[in-house]
Amino acid sequence: MTINKRRMKNQHKIDDMKKIWKDPVLVTTILFLIVTLAIFILYPLYSVLKVSFINEGNFSLKAYVQILKDIDFRQTLGNTLLLGVTVGILSTVIGFLFAYADAYIKSHFKKLFKVVSILPIISPPFVLALSAIMLFGQFGLITRQLLGINNANIYGFKGIVMVQTMTFFPVAYLLLIGLLKKIDPALEEAARSMGASRWVTFKTVTLPLLLPGIANAFLLTFIEVVADFSNPMVIGGNFSTLATKIYMQAIGNYDMAGGAAIAVVLLSLSILLFALEKFWIEKKSYVTVTGKASRERDVITEKHIVWPIDIACLLITIFVLSFYVLVPIGGIFKVMGVDYTLTLAHFKYVFNLGLEPLKDTTLLSIYATPITGILGMIIAFLIVRKRFVGRSFIEFTSLLAMAVPGTVLGLGYISAYNTKPLLLTGTGLIIVIAFIVRSLPVGVRSGVAALQQIDPAIEEAAQDLGANSTKVFVSVTLPLIKTAFFSGLVYTFVRSMTAVSAVIFLITPKYKLLTASILSQVDNGRFGVASAFSTVLILIVYVAIAIMYFGLNKMGVSKSDDNIL
Amino acid sequence: MKKKRLIALTLTSLMVAGIFTGCGSKGATVEKNEDLKLTIYCGLMEDHMVKAVDEFSKETGVKAEAVRMSSGEILGRIRAEKENPKASVWFGGPADAFVQAKEDGLLENYVSDNAKDVSDKYKDKDGAWTGIYIGYLGFASNKKLLDEKGIEAPKSWEDLLKPEFKGQVSIANPGSSGTAYTVLSTIVQLKGEEEGLKYMKNLNTNIKSYEKSGTAPARLAGQGEVMVGISYLHDGIKYREEGMKDLVLTAPSEGTGYEIGATAVLKNGPDQKAAKMFVDFCLSKKGQELGQTVGSYQFLTNKTAKAPALSDEIKDTKLIDYDLEWAGKNRTILVEKWNKAIK
Repeated sequence: MTINKRRMKNQHKIDDMKKIWKDPVLVTTILFLIVTLAIFILYPLYSVLKVSFINEGNFSLKAYVQILKDIDFRQTLGNTLLLGVTVGILSTVIGFLFAYADAYIKSHFKKLFKVVSILPIISPPFVLALSAIMLFGQFGLITRQLLGINNANIYGFKGIVMVQTMTFFPVAYLLLIGLLKKIDPALEEAARSMGASRWVTFKTVTLPLLLPGIANAFLLTFIEVVADFSNPMVIGGNFSTLATKIYMQAIGNYDMAGGAAIAVVLLSLSILLFALEKFWIEKKSYVTVTGKASRERDVITEKHIVWPIDIACLLITIFVLSFYVLVPIGGIFKVMGVDYTLTLAHFKYVFNLGLEPLKDTTLLSIYATPITGILGMIIAFLIVRKRFVGRSFIEFTSLLAMAVPGTVLGLGYISAYNTKPLLLTGTGLIIVIAFIVRSLPVGVRSGVAALQQIDPAIEEAAQDLGANSTKVFVSVTLPLIKTAFFSGLVYTFVRSMTAVSAVIFLITPKYKLLTASILSQVDNGRFGVASAFSTVLILIVYVAIAIMYFGLNKMGVSKSDDNIL
Repeated sequence: MKKKRLIALTLTSLMVAGIFTGCGSKGATVEKNEDLKLTIYCGLMEDHMVKAVDEFSKETGVKAEAVRMSSGEILGRIRAEKENPKASVWFGGPADAFVQAKEDGLLENYVSDNAKDVSDKYKDKDGAWTGIYIGYLGFASNKKLLDEKGIEAPKSWEDLLKPEFKGQVSIANPGSSGTAYTVLSTIVQLKGEEEGLKYMKNLNTNIKSYEKSGTAPARLAGQGEVMVGISYLHDGIKYREEGMKDLVLTAPSEGTGYEIGATAVLKNGPDQKAAKMFVDFCLSKKGQELGQTVGSYQFLTNKTAKAPALSDEIKDTKLIDYDLEWAGKNRTILVEKWNKAIK
């Protein structure tokens, strides 16, 4: 019986493959994708592995022995795990609170909450860390001026947790809001009409339905937290994490092999979690694939539920906003905390010396945006709609980049593409490729999510009428998932404009990047200039998003749930 | 059927090939250009770099471009680019990184005519690198904080151990910062290994945090995050000039270590001729005096160049006879011993 089944399955596979072979464009695309993904995602990772195992030209475990002996490394590993768990839990809780307020409650400040949960995604990563120092440092506005505390210390664990939670709770929010909106209200109403209280309904219906989603949100934030480089770099103080340690070992200590060995450790950790998320939890989450809820939910209006949640969210919102208000303000004072003389010097500096990075960053991001968008949709289409050998390879590799910490990817890029035939270092192309690889997973994810809600029958109809795969994709699939496509575009642009860790090894005199400029200003202690740079960067991103949305409205694409921004 | 497969394969290879030729052609056009060009990796402050590159281009007509990175980034970069160097000059950054690069065979020996004005102490004997400036280690303290507690600024390494400074001293991590490693190696050269490490262990109780970059301690003191930062004194001057007006600078009476900022021609770099012109320029009186116009206040290596007026207050600092070579050779071991000592 089972043998028969297996044979049938195999027969199916062969049939599917045969169908695909008949379509040269499809085969070409698939082969192209496999080769490209292997070259630009797997090969650099392999290079990191290689660097870590080679000492003076021979295979050696010296780098690993060295880091294992290092007390500092063990502590760093512990730090990283502790940080991941703490921020993961906090972000998930806050993200859930916001998602719940958004989807279930007649909240008074819905719009405001939405803005706040998106702000951290579109701003350069270390902005929050800078503001945290200005607010809570020993000379901080709140700690010193308001509370009169003389020896506040924001550097270290506390500071990183605060800043990273603000940075990453939107990840959890966006994931959970999608799920919450897709829970069919009928389930909860059934419980309610049988007499269950709101709390009991929440505990026995909503929460169990969401559990896989919550675990998923936790793991995703965990992965992002351990990979985060800029926040610990700016506000970490004594507290080092694996991502910063890679940089410090490879760059500060002139020890590439040691840095690569730590990178391999971090990479294994991330991939492990990613695999866990992908193969275990995602399979359990049914809510995502049932499609849209049958009808609108009646939002909760009871005051004793609405107000506490509203107030909690509002407090967090004010807290986050106060950080952002400080960014432009930091740019107009001489030295925050010390000399409150108004000055335009920082902005002048930006416009005298910073125009080139500004131009380069924007231009390279613009190049990366459409490529990522189209590539993401094609991959999503293939994963969801086609069955072929190498499909899981494409799926896993294209999503893998999400789990690869930027520092590791950057290290891989510089060691992989410096010899012929793949001599790419020093070109703008390598930066564009790094941008694409970093943003691809989100494009693919939103494409997959959108496609899963569309009945394949529509596409099949076109196929039956004689359209080939290309025709089907361009004239049926793409129009149906254009929202996901455009939000993928926006996301790519924003991610590219604000990327730090992956590209810090790739900048050249020809192509300077804004974020690298900001980081080197932070490094030199010129917070004023860094704030001015960040202000300009945030403005560009805002304008770009506004233009894209304007374009979308003109083209009749509405913002909907599939939209990640 | 076979035909289709063939089409598919050709298309794939074309698409893949397209990626690479795209960048290949770009490189070729650069080489064809007859004018002299120069790519510089620079470890200095950004405005210093821009100024120097502009002046150099104005004087020589060479089209020079530079990018700023930390010295570790530059070393990592030129190591990775060894087969196909992208830059021809390394401009600025501590000499220990240059010593390392020389050992790896990444530098081209070049003795500039202008190097005759540079004391032997400040240049490599083979001409692999030449010093362009010197920075003294010292203490940058926050006067406001000191006054609040009624403490005097530290005047010696011993002063730093005073209990009043508990949790109020900042230094960078010798594992990641060349500046902090210079501190560690200065202490060990002053006191001997055992005593030196014991001193670092005692100092540990007063340290608030081990920062990642060497300029951070002076900045933290300037911002009032700590009372005392151990940094290069010229960084302290720079921060004070930029508005951190509470900074006071002192140097240890026992003697202190120093850094030599260097420049070098990179081996097999694409623009050797322009690179040598640039090194000549850096070592000239004019090239050296540029820094002080844009906020870099190090002492200069060219005997004929005028040191910045602002660094007058620290010019009498007592220096030890810092052994750069010893420091470079013992880096890994010393940092490891230090890590164990402070735990």
